[in-house]
Amino acid sequence: MAGKVPIVYTIRGCEACVKLLEKWNADGIAYEERRAELSQATMEEARTYGSAVPIVVWPDGRVEQGFQGHIGCYII
Amino acid sequence: MTQTTTVVTPERFDRALSYADYLATIAVNRDQFQHYYDIARLTDDDVAFFTKTAALPSGPVKILVIAEAWCPDVFRGVPVFARIAEASGMTMKVVLRDENPDIMDEFLLKGKARAIPVAVFYTRGHQYITHWTERPAVAHAEIARIRAEFSAVHPTVDLKAPTGADMQTMKTFFDARLPQRYPAWQVETVREVRELLVAAMAAA
Repeated sequence: MAGKVPIVYTIRGCEACVKLLEKWNADGIAYEERRAELSQATMEEARTYGSAVPIVVWPDGRVEQGFQGHIGCYII
Repeated sequence: MTQTTTVVTPERFDRALSYADYLATIAVNRDQFQHYYDIARLTDDDVAFFTKTAALPSGPVKILVIAEAWCPDVFRGVPVFARIAEASGMTMKVVLRDENPDIMDEFLLKGKARAIPVAVFYTRGHQYITHWTERPAVAHAEIARIRAEFSAVHPTVDLKAPTGADMQTMKTFFDARLPQRYPAWQVETVREVRELLVAAMAAA
C-alpha cells in the first residue's frame, strides 16, 4: 500500500478532510487523495485502516486518523 | 432554522428523490441500507400511531430526509423513516446534503453542525411540523460512555487522532460494543419521533 506520497482517504463535505488538504496544499505536500464515498472498494479500503476520515497512510506505512484534534467523519 | 420562510418549497420537495430512486443512485453502503431496513421494526402501536397521526387535518404526510450515503447514522437511521413512511402512507423524499447546502443550513444541529440524517415532517399543505436529527439521545450517551470506558483502559490513546496500532485497538474495542446497540437505537429513533410529533402537534 505504501507508495512515494501519502495516501489520504477523504469524503466530500468532511470539514476535517478539507482542512487537512488545505494545509497540505499550502505546504506543498504531494499526496494521493482517495474519495471513500465514490466507490465501495475505496470505502472498504479506508475501513481496513480506521473508522473515520481523514485517514493518512504515509509512505513508510504509518497510519493516522483525524486532523488537528478533529475526528472527521465516521465511515462505519 | 425558520419555519415561516423556507427553501424547501412544495415544488422542491416534489423534485427530491424517492427512497427507491435514492438507493438506486448511491455508490456505497447499499448493503448497509438494506440490512438496517431489514432489522428496523415498528410495533403495531407505532403503525397505529403514525397512521392515525398522518390522517389528522394538520398531520404529517411528507418527510424530507437530508442524507449522504457514506454516513453510518444515515444508513442506520434513514431505513427507519422509510418504514414509518411505508406503514403510514406518508411520502418520503431524499435530498443530498452536499448538493443542497441551503436546505442543510435550515436544519443545522445546534445552529452549526451539518449533522445527518435530518428528517423533516410537513403537513399536506407543506407546513413544517418538526424535525429529527442524526441519532437518538441514548446513542449519544452510549457512545460517550463507551469512549470513556476505552479511555479508562487505554489512557494514552488519543481518541480524536489515533495512529498506527491504536486505530485497530479502538476499532476492535468499539466493534465489540456498539453494533449490538444499533437495533435499540432504531427503536429509540421511533420513540423520539413520536414524541416530537405529539409535542409539535399539541403546540400547533
